[in-house]
Amino acid sequence: MAGVAGQNAPPDARGEADDTLLAVRAAEGDEDAFAVLVQRHAPALIRLAARLLGNRAEAEDAVQDAFISAWRRLPEFRNRSSFGTWMYRILTNRCLNVLRSRRPVASLDAARDVPAPEHSASPARMAEARDAVRELRAALDLLSVEQRACWVLRELDGRSYEFIADAVGISQEAVRARVFRARRCLTRAMGAWR
Amino acid sequence: MTAHTGPSDAHTDGVDNDVDDGVDDGVDDDERLPCGRLLSRVWDDRKRQRAGTADPHPRTCPHCRRAVSGLDELGSAVAELRRDETADTSAYDTAPLAERVMDLVRLELRPGRPLPLGEPAEDLWIMEAVAARTLRAAAESVSGVRAGSCRLFPRSCALPAGTGRGPVEVRLDVHAPPGVPLPELAERIRGRVREAADLRLGMDVAAVDIRISDLTDTTADSAAESAAGGAPTCTTGSQEGRTR
Repeated sequence: MAGVAGQNAPPDARGEADDTLLAVRAAEGDEDAFAVLVQRHAPALIRLAARLLGNRAEAEDAVQDAFISAWRRLPEFRNRSSFGTWMYRILTNRCLNVLRSRRPVASLDAARDVPAPEHSASPARMAEARDAVRELRAALDLLSVEQRACWVLRELDGRSYEFIADAVGISQEAVRARVFRARRCLTRAMGAWR
Repeated sequence: MTAHTGPSDAHTDGVDNDVDDGVDDGVDDDERLPCGRLLSRVWDDRKRQRAGTADPHPRTCPHCRRAVSGLDELGSAVAELRRDETADTSAYDTAPLAERVMDLVRLELRPGRPLPLGEPAEDLWIMEAVAARTLRAAAESVSGVRAGSCRLFPRSCALPAGTGRGPVEVRLDVHAPPGVPLPELAERIRGRVREAADLRLGMDVAAVDIRISDLTDTTADSAAESAAGGAPTCTTGSQEGRTR
């Protein structure tokens, strides 16, 4: 059941056209091709933005901005990377800017108010796990912008250090250091609340 | 789906994650635990499951054990957070967002250059992106063909855009299906493109350049059709050929 995240049938009735072809068409001004790309990539991008920003409304705005920016820059996009990777990079940058402009951080209470969705588990375990998740969400707001971005891309998104370094625009060593500092900050915060 | 992973289960995620990226070299602002070990080292060993092998220290040292259990707790909270997200996003409808994006995109269209239509004496033009859409669709009416780049150039392109009239040259990239002789396929595509240019647009086309930029086995729907024939289901490679 998990894993079919928001996949509607592609509007392209001819079946799956590949992203490269669609990106070329979109670069030449074919907005229908771009619409297919938007449909196809929106779910993963929303998930990333929500992870980075911790807030669904801001995540939607960031994804919208990232797509518009991509539409404008498509004529210069030469398919050197996949469309998906390129979008990821644009969105990560967008989210970093949002986070930077947001300081000082949103209140921890806001993070604690995020409701946990239902899933099957024993009530006691569920309550315990929810507490941990709530603490984690709140602790994420204690991280610096760069720590948060690196940690989210690494631990939630499972990206390689190389990919993160490229997306965030820093060295792999700097990414490793930030992931380490983020882990230290998170373990401390979660331990302190116990 | 099992509900909860204990620290040792949750931790396996981290192992997979870190090992493929090579060894952590430590970080400059590392922390030394009261027992003298570096925190980054202790965590690294934990992630690699090295703790229990030769060195008894991490199992007996209270500082190391505390550091490891903190990491394990974080690991299980992360696993739980991911499960929450999955439940959260599987019900999420991206259609409204996609509509908003496309509404904005339509305010910033890139129609390309104007191209002449009709008789030489007429002052009738069509935007390149609009004509390209029709011609791509015509090319794709040939079974298994996918059209990519489609550029149109007035023969007299020395003249400023919007003033040069006369026949137009079409340059079209396609992904071709396997098992069809390419010259024959190109000829069929060319025929459909010329026909659409003439009948649907009224455009005088001087030449249709076709470039086969990939050979594909079209996925999903045609994979089902061809399943009986045992056709391969992935891209079979790239072959470029230009015909005219």
